[in-house]
Amino acid sequence: MFENLNAALGPIYFWIFAVSALLSSLGLVFVCRHPLSGALNLIGVMLSLAGIYAILHSPFLGVLQVLVYAGAVMMLVVFVIMVLNQAKDHQVPRFDVFSLGAFALPVAIGAALVGFLAKQPLAPSAGAVRAEIQPISAELFDMTAAGPGLYVLFELVGVLLLVAVVAAVLLAKRRLDTPAAEAEPKGDDHGHH
Amino acid sequence: MDTIDPIHVQVLAAVLFSLGLCAVVMRRNLFFILMGIELLLNAVNLSLIGFARTLSAEQGSLTGHIVPLFTIAVAAAEACVGLAMVICITRGKDTVDADAFAEMKE
Repeated sequence: MFENLNAALGPIYFWIFAVSALLSSLGLVFVCRHPLSGALNLIGVMLSLAGIYAILHSPFLGVLQVLVYAGAVMMLVVFVIMVLNQAKDHQVPRFDVFSLGAFALPVAIGAALVGFLAKQPLAPSAGAVRAEIQPISAELFDMTAAGPGLYVLFELVGVLLLVAVVAAVLLAKRRLDTPAAEAEPKGDDHGHH
Repeated sequence: MDTIDPIHVQVLAAVLFSLGLCAVVMRRNLFFILMGIELLLNAVNLSLIGFARTLSAEQGSLTGHIVPLFTIAVAAAEACVGLAMVICITRGKDTVDADAFAEMKE
């Protein structure tokens, strides 16, 4: 009985999540002036997309989206916005004259994408896998010689994240050769000559 | 059983991608440019998961659910380095307006 109920409600939930994702991203791109409200709108987009992932037979990715994107990444973004907040962020103009011309590019790309996709024969496959965590991990860590070898990518992603963290620390650190005690900025040390 | 048309998912992904591109090329605030890139990556993930629904297990439906894992990891690394770069380049300028960082043009 609940199976039938879920099948009937799936599209309704999909449209609810789709509309909320669209409204949030429109708010992010065109309405928000302060980066913090933009970040909150982006979190709304990500949470809506997590719901859509769960409806599209990918509950594991939905959970990962909430944990990693809405949780970790956006926490970092909000944290940096608040650290760097000069209380002038909202005085930066949203758009300029160049933006009006540049608007044609996304519109053209979006129209081309939609026009191309509308001609494709897409139908839900009866054999589509419901990607629970068990089949995902079985495929991801399949270390047999005949397997897809995705575990190598998994290891490489570990290296990438380590390199990214080290690079972020090096970039955000003030001066590499200065001890922390005398890390006073010297005025135009960072400026051009 | 389910009646979500895959083309609707793909059109939603395309519209979100265009909006992310709008944020990247139109906004002047550095933070909005970074968040536009995040929106682009999210739209690609949605497209991958939507396509995974149209494939059977033999055609690689599961791979369409695994590739977004790597996209999410790469996006996390990108946000990490991107925010560090914003901290780095705004240090001497005291502004987040993208027009203030045009030294390479002059």
